[in-house]
Formats: sequence, C-alpha cells, structure tokens
Amino acid sequence: MRHGGVTKFSFQNLFGPIIIISALTFFVGRTSASLQLITQFTLCYFMMVLALQVFVGNSGVLSFGHGSFALIGSYISGMLTAPINIKGHALAMNQLWQALVPLHTNIYLALLISAIISAFFAALTGSLLMRLSGLSAGIATFALLGVTYNVFFNNKRIGPGSQALPAVPTISNTYILLLLAALAIVVVYLFNISSLGRTLIATREDAMAAPALGINIYRVRLIAFTLSGFLAGLSGGMYVHVAGTFQVQDYYLEFTFLTLSMLIIGGSASLWGALLGTIVISTIGQLLLMMEQDLPIFGIHAHIPEGSRAVIIAVAFVAVLLWRSSGIANGKEFSIPTFWRK
Amino acid sequence: MIQSILDAISLGGLYSLAALGLGLVFGVMRLVNFAHGELITIAAYTLVLTTQFPLLLSLVLTIFVTALVALIMEFAIYRRLRGVSPAIMLVASFGLSTVLQRVYEFTFGALPKSAVVAPSLSGVVKFAGLSITISSVLTIILAVVILLAMGYLVERTSLGLQLRAASADFRTARLLGVRSNRLITAAFVLSGVLASFVAFILVIQNPVVNPYYGLNITILALVGIVIGGISSLRGAALGGFIVGVILSGLNTLLGNGRVYSYTWLFITVLIILLVRPGGLLSKGSELERV
Repeated sequence: MRHGGVTKFSFQNLFGPIIIISALTFFVGRTSASLQLITQFTLCYFMMVLALQVFVGNSGVLSFGHGSFALIGSYISGMLTAPINIKGHALAMNQLWQALVPLHTNIYLALLISAIISAFFAALTGSLLMRLSGLSAGIATFALLGVTYNVFFNNKRIGPGSQALPAVPTISNTYILLLLAALAIVVVYLFNISSLGRTLIATREDAMAAPALGINIYRVRLIAFTLSGFLAGLSGGMYVHVAGTFQVQDYYLEFTFLTLSMLIIGGSASLWGALLGTIVISTIGQLLLMMEQDLPIFGIHAHIPEGSRAVIIAVAFVAVLLWRSSGIANGKEFSIPTFWRK
Repeated sequence: MIQSILDAISLGGLYSLAALGLGLVFGVMRLVNFAHGELITIAAYTLVLTTQFPLLLSLVLTIFVTALVALIMEFAIYRRLRGVSPAIMLVASFGLSTVLQRVYEFTFGALPKSAVVAPSLSGVVKFAGLSITISSVLTIILAVVILLAMGYLVERTSLGLQLRAASADFRTARLLGVRSNRLITAAFVLSGVLASFVAFILVIQNPVVNPYYGLNITILALVGIVIGGISSLRGAALGGFIVGVILSGLNTLLGNGRVYSYTWLFITVLIILLVRPGGLLSKGSELERV
C-alpha cells in the first residue's frame, strides 16, 4: 500500500508547497491577462484537490460526492452576491422563490457562509454515508452527487436550474485566492500531522487493525469528511467568483473526474501530491491548448491538430498510472532534494 | 399499462445485461471497468456503420470488433496493473474511458452517426386491442435468452465454475489451479460479447450514436451491480434489473415530475446501500477496500 503521511512537523513540508504555489501564481499570473485567469481557475481547482486529499487521500475511500459540496458552495456564494435586480427580474430566474431574492451580502462573508453550509451538508450526509466503505461508499457518494445535480438542474424555484446565473461579482485580485489556498495548505497540513489525521491514515492502511487499536473509523472519517466538505464548498465559492456565473453543469462529472485525476496523478497520500497533480495537469492542459491554437511557447511554434489535446491528456493520465500507480509524489511530502542538503 | 410493464421489464433486462458484463470482469479481478461503456459505444458504431450488410453478418462483425477492443484493453492496460489497488484500477479505467471517447471523436467525428438498424424490428404491433412496441418485446426475449445462456455457461461449464470460484475467492481459486490470466482474458471477451448485445438493443431504440453513447447505461449498470451485491454474478444481474425497473417505473409514475426520476432512483439506491451495504444478495459482512 501507499506509505504517506509524515507525522512530525517539518518546516519544509509545510512551507515548500506554499512557496512554490506563491511563486507560480506570481510569475505566471503576471504574464498575461489570459494566463492570470487560468491561474485563478487553477487555484480554485487546487482548493478542491486539497479537499479531496483530506478525505480520499487519507481515508482511502473514493468519493465522487464532493462535486455536490462544491456545487452548494458555489450556489450559495453566487446567490448571495448576484445583484438583487438580476435575481428578481432576469428572464431565467422569474420562477425563483421570492424569499431568496433580497438575500445579499459581500463576497467574503458569502464565501465563509457557503463553506460553512457545505461543511454542515457534508456532516449531515456523512453521518449516513460514513457507515459504508469500499465500493459501496464510492457508489453511495456518486448517488449523492446525482441527487444534488438532478435537483439543482431541474428546480427553478431555488436557483437558475439548467440556465446560468449571470453577473456574479468576481474577485479580480489573484492574491486573495492565493491567500485562501495558502491558509488551506496550513489547515490541511496541520490536520494531516495531527493525531486525528494519523488515525485516519491508520484506518486506510489497515481497516482491520485500526479498530483493534480502539480507533472509531466512523468518527474519524466523519470529521475528515466534514473538513473536506468545508474546503470543497470554499472551492466552489471561489470558482463562482472567478467564473462570474453560476452554472450547475460546471460541478458534475467532468469536474469530479478532473479533480480526482489531479489528486491521483499527483499522489493522493500527501499534500505535496495534491499540489503536484494540480500543477502538472493544469500546465500540460494549458501548453497543449496553446499548441492547438498555434500560439508560441517561449517563442517556439509547435502546432498540433485541433482536438488532439484531450487525447494526449487522457493518454498521459493512463501512462502515469502505469508508470507509478501511487502518483508522482509517491506518498512523500515536499522536501529539498537530498543531493542539495548533503 | 401493459406497455408500461413491458417497458419496465425490457429496460430491466437491458440493464441486467450491461451489469452482467461489468460483473464478470469485476468478479475475476476486482476491476470496476468504467470503460465498459466504450465497448458498448464501439459496438453501436459498428452496427450503425455496417447496415449495408445482412443483419446477421453485421452482428457477427460487431461482436468480433467489440471483443477485440476488450482484449486490447486487457492486454495494453489492465494486464500491467495487476496487484494494484482497486481504487487505482477504477481511476485508470476512467482514464481509459476518456481516451477511447476521444479516439472515437477523432475517428468518427463529434457529430452523431445514425442509420436505421433492422427496420423491421422497430414499430408497433396491435394485439388484442393493445398496441405494443416490437422493440420492448424483442428486448425481453433477447435478454431472457442471453441470461439463460449466461446462466448455463456460468452454472454448467468448467469455465463458469472457474469464473464463480474466482469471483468468490480469487486467491484460493488460483491455488486450486485456475489459470488466472486465461480466465481474465475469457471474462473480457465475454463482457465484449454482452456489450455487443446491449448495443444491438440500444441502437434499435435509438440509432443516433455519439462518442458518449455507452456512458449513461454504464453508470446505471454500475449502480446496479453494487446494490445487487458485487460478489456474485447473480447479484449483478439482479441489481441491473432492479435499477432498470425502478427507473422505468418512476418515469411512468412521476408524469410531469419525471425530471426528478434520477433523484428518486439515487435515493432508493442510497437507502438500499445503507440497509445492506454489501448489496441485496450479500451474505454477511465483507470488507472490500476500494
């Protein structure tokens, strides 16, 4: 099995990822307006991958249900900040329940509220779902995503339904998103090395031995699921304030698979893996997109036919799994390469 | 009314075939082959693109092509992932599923392909004052025949015995002389054959084939094998049948509220899983670490 989970506090394990993500945000984000937007989206995805790492990575239980927490976070943050006249009069929204129209607050309060409600929703659903394990848990979380998506997609009383909620205010300052991501790194790192986090990792490594040591699997999984729901909700909230619109379709299968693959490719057993996976997949995707559009990359034109980007990404994904099934980071946290330290 | 019941049974039969294809592979190697949907898709493409041939030839060709793709999956990808945790294999099969979807999009184009397959089989017959669609009756007959054939294969032949033994306990089966790689190859070929029949039934009802054609039925079949009980082939077939019947029943009963039929289906699934985590046909508790 994977042997992740460094248990002792280490400065480089914590600050390495923070410095790398800050440096990348700083240098890439300043290059051009389009790259700045890409950086902002990537920070949102990273938040989601972190959320998945806390639960999926540490517990070993696959969850396809986190998209529903992101959806709810995004929905709440979007609805709380969209202009009142848009909610009241926009064509798509004229069936909206009237009590929802006057609710309005600023972006940051809305983000906090959305994350808290998502965490609450995760705790509520988790209290039932965490009794399951294995494939049953995977399918049950998928069923949760199915229910949430289906309700929000069709119910025009509570939201925009299949249409988009326009004019959601955006966070133009990338560094605010970066700050949130850095805070999340600290929280996740402290959780992973806490006794709770280590207990959770123990249940992943041996689901038989852990209860024999007096560990209550249900309890530790539920706590992690709730924390994970908080971060996933926050990621949805960030996403809606980068995209500027709320659309239910943004948080369904494609979103779920993309973020799960980022986690698995990077290496689900460590925080460093979550960051690596996000960076690698986003970078490859962006480079290939530029090749498709025949844009220069460092002055070099390398044209690939349109549509081949998706094929290459999918093939690379399978290739990484064949090469190293526990992900690029292989369960390790960030550390300065050894030849340098000696 | 009669038509609704026939629809429910035929959809149940169809999903039970799809679930059986997934269950066969899961049984022998603990792999949830999400790319099974792409086997159904390639079968549907082959059927639609070979309508100029006689139906039987077209069907044989389809089975051949689909089984071939199944074998390529096994030899190129899954054989290299032996001994890897089921969760990683599941994610790899997602990746493979995406690869194949893109390859289909590249080869056949993003726009759907369509052609009338077996025109004599679509339509309505009048019987004792009722009008009944031929395809629903045909689906039921075909599903029953294939399920009986599979039942014979699994219960009465040596290959079936090995498959059942491997599903129950793969390691012990190997110790007792079951050749694992040969068995897994056989399971993939069989799941390819089942996918061809599923595609045949699907294209008669809906001949518009796009690269995502098999996705929906695979997700629902996957749900089916889990609620039926993942450790037995009978459970897989039963679970698929239940999902089909529930979905069809909900579509009839909910009327205008049918947009929410997936919500009720998934809530039913959640309740079944919470009451019986191992599935309806499970015996006792069994820890599966996926």
